[in-house]
Amino acid sequence: MCETQLIRPLTGGDAEYLRDESKQTGHAVSISFPETEAQVRQVMEETARQGLAVTLQGSRTGLAAAAVPFGGHVLNLSRMDKICGMRQEGERFFVTLQPGVILQKLNRAIAARQMDTTGWSEQSLAAYAAFCRAPAQMFTPDPTESTASIGGMVSCNASGARSYRYGAARSHVTAVRGVLADGDTLSLRRGQVFAKGYDLTVTTDGGRIISVRLPQYCMPNCKNASGYYCAPDMDALDLLIGSDGTLLAITEIEIALLPAPAVTWGVTCFFETQQQAVTYTHGVRQLPQQPAAIEYFDPESLNVLRRQKAQHTAFAALPDMDDAYGCAVYTELHCDTEAQAYDLLAQLQRCAETSGGSGHHSWVACSDSDRDLLYFFRHAVPESVNMQVERYKQHHPGITKTAADIAVPDGCFEDMLALYDGALEQAGLQHAAWGHIGDNHIHVNILPRDPAELDAGRALVAQWAAQASAMGGAVSAEHGVGKLKAPLLELMYGKEQVQAMAAVKAAFDPGWRLGRGNLFPTEKEVPVCE
Amino acid sequence: MRMIVCIKQVPAAASASIDPLTKTIVRTGQKAVTNPFDLHALQLALDLRQQTGGTITGITMGLPAAAAALRDGISRGMDGGVLLSDRTFAGADTLATSYALSRGIEKLGGADLILCGRMATDGDTAQIGPELAQQLGLPHVSDVCQVLEIAEDHLVVRRVWDELEQVLHLPLPAVITVVKSSRTPALPTLSGMLRAKDAVIPVWTAADVGADPERCGLRGSPTQVVRTFAPQARRQAQVLGGDVGTQAQALAQLCREVLREQD
Repeated sequence: MCETQLIRPLTGGDAEYLRDESKQTGHAVSISFPETEAQVRQVMEETARQGLAVTLQGSRTGLAAAAVPFGGHVLNLSRMDKICGMRQEGERFFVTLQPGVILQKLNRAIAARQMDTTGWSEQSLAAYAAFCRAPAQMFTPDPTESTASIGGMVSCNASGARSYRYGAARSHVTAVRGVLADGDTLSLRRGQVFAKGYDLTVTTDGGRIISVRLPQYCMPNCKNASGYYCAPDMDALDLLIGSDGTLLAITEIEIALLPAPAVTWGVTCFFETQQQAVTYTHGVRQLPQQPAAIEYFDPESLNVLRRQKAQHTAFAALPDMDDAYGCAVYTELHCDTEAQAYDLLAQLQRCAETSGGSGHHSWVACSDSDRDLLYFFRHAVPESVNMQVERYKQHHPGITKTAADIAVPDGCFEDMLALYDGALEQAGLQHAAWGHIGDNHIHVNILPRDPAELDAGRALVAQWAAQASAMGGAVSAEHGVGKLKAPLLELMYGKEQVQAMAAVKAAFDPGWRLGRGNLFPTEKEVPVCE
Repeated sequence: MRMIVCIKQVPAAASASIDPLTKTIVRTGQKAVTNPFDLHALQLALDLRQQTGGTITGITMGLPAAAAALRDGISRGMDGGVLLSDRTFAGADTLATSYALSRGIEKLGGADLILCGRMATDGDTAQIGPELAQQLGLPHVSDVCQVLEIAEDHLVVRRVWDELEQVLHLPLPAVITVVKSSRTPALPTLSGMLRAKDAVIPVWTAADVGADPERCGLRGSPTQVVRTFAPQARRQAQVLGGDVGTQAQALAQLCREVLREQD
């Protein structure tokens, strides 16, 4: 493929590449779909010559507009979607893949143990043969959007429900390779390059030495996907994970697999009040065996589902919910044996009863079909909210959903919940909240009915971000900062630390070409709402 | 109201396979689930119990592992269950199965209403319900989608076939088979799961239920499985030309040829 074919002008038919799931729309002059690292290098070198900014894209499922271009070139990595090899270390398996691999496809390939091994090395093939004989494995990060690309997930340190037990993407990435803005490449493997205090030096494959003074902010003691990961003596790899497409274009990732649990059961407990759900969550978090996930659905989420079930045949399969149910908490159990799972069920029942709930007001899913039903239930909430917002957009095309992605440290969640409730009641905005209550992290979604409510909703999210930051929380816990949350970063770290973060970017990308507008607000060019 | 729900454990859709020698479904070591149609029958029974009170007992015939289907039913609200398990029952077709179930139901003391799923997903015969009614000498209605009225001595039920809807008066005791409804069957509950785990499931042999061995299992099964095979899909596309009239004539001719082939 020659350069002229690799990089082509953006046309009207490319409109979808100007937006992502954040529903923001940007603009660009050219686009490329490289299939190899060599082509990514070509694109970087050519756009450098042209002085173009480069926005990196995976499958554009992000919610923070990181993949929305602010002019320049769109480098779409979705065609780099091969699983390249496998490595075995003791009883553990590691998969090397390109950034465009879709999470859903990866999970299916792991579960079915069916991978296209064309072109794999002998070492990879031997590891693959062992993998096929070994107990079932899994990749645990599970963002709601299963069509997310692995590259995108690494870029924003995505997590999902099961991060409660297994941690976010960072915990499962063991190596990253990528192309820098000047076309040079950089490979980092966990455990090989560390900062000395706050001084970090990495050497590119081309021999360029990049030395940075890391920002010295204190990382929040909670789930976090807000800006660069920085800590004294940190592993250099952790700087690349969660860098929101601002440091390099990821071209290869190695992920670590974990043995899949023999028993996976889901339990949804219903409560009349939010306080009962919070008390139940506290109880579940104290259990000796940690669940994989603890998820919350507030009263408005359940009401949205009730309406959807009544009005749309596509949602008719949702299980019936008693009208007395005010809110719900879903807990996923991963156990070695059924006996262990039954023991946990008994403990969950005790937690429910001591919180004011009952073992009768619950759903347990043990079979694949019942688990699918609970999965459908969980995913129907955001889908229904999006459908509602789409209906409002018919009258006011400029509006969009506004959502908080805030996490706070242990001991602060109830205070944060009170701030959400108080502000929402006062503002009179339509809303629904759900998410990762086990991690003190719920997504409060505001459904604006007109532009004035959109502004009010955005102001509320900014207000909550400031309040959460004061508690030591994170303004973005899993979606990444992208462009939408960039103005909130200063609230969390302060201006000086954001400037220190910008200095890190400048060391990697002196021309400030990659992911322009991500993490660091650009006042001149702002994406427009659809 | 005293109700009995017939439940069958079937291979999970993704793990069904056929024994090449016996031509029967391999059940040992396979992932198994409760027949989805039976869950709809159980849901209807749960709804009726909520209206009238009473009890729901599950009954199944199968390997000892089939007790899991009864525990599944208990976790969803069934009061108890009984398993018919004996080598004598092995290899049963629908006639021998319905006979064994009828003996089990009689040992249970009968019921006001016996509910079956329309069919099992592994056999697709839809014969057990009607045969069971015959074995027990009870009236039955198949393909019930709704109970419109319930009284001590009768039910009024609605059944829907492709182009036909019937409202039927059914004297009790009776047997009904239940179709899948748009309503999702109840999920197990925490308390149901824990009750099911500790539930004592009686296991009855052919002798326990007073069954005639000649009418049980392979010996009591007139159905002989000669061959089991995956059908060969035949697809052939043909584009008919000409005006509408010519196309219609050509289509009619093709239909005649296909029908002749089938004769």
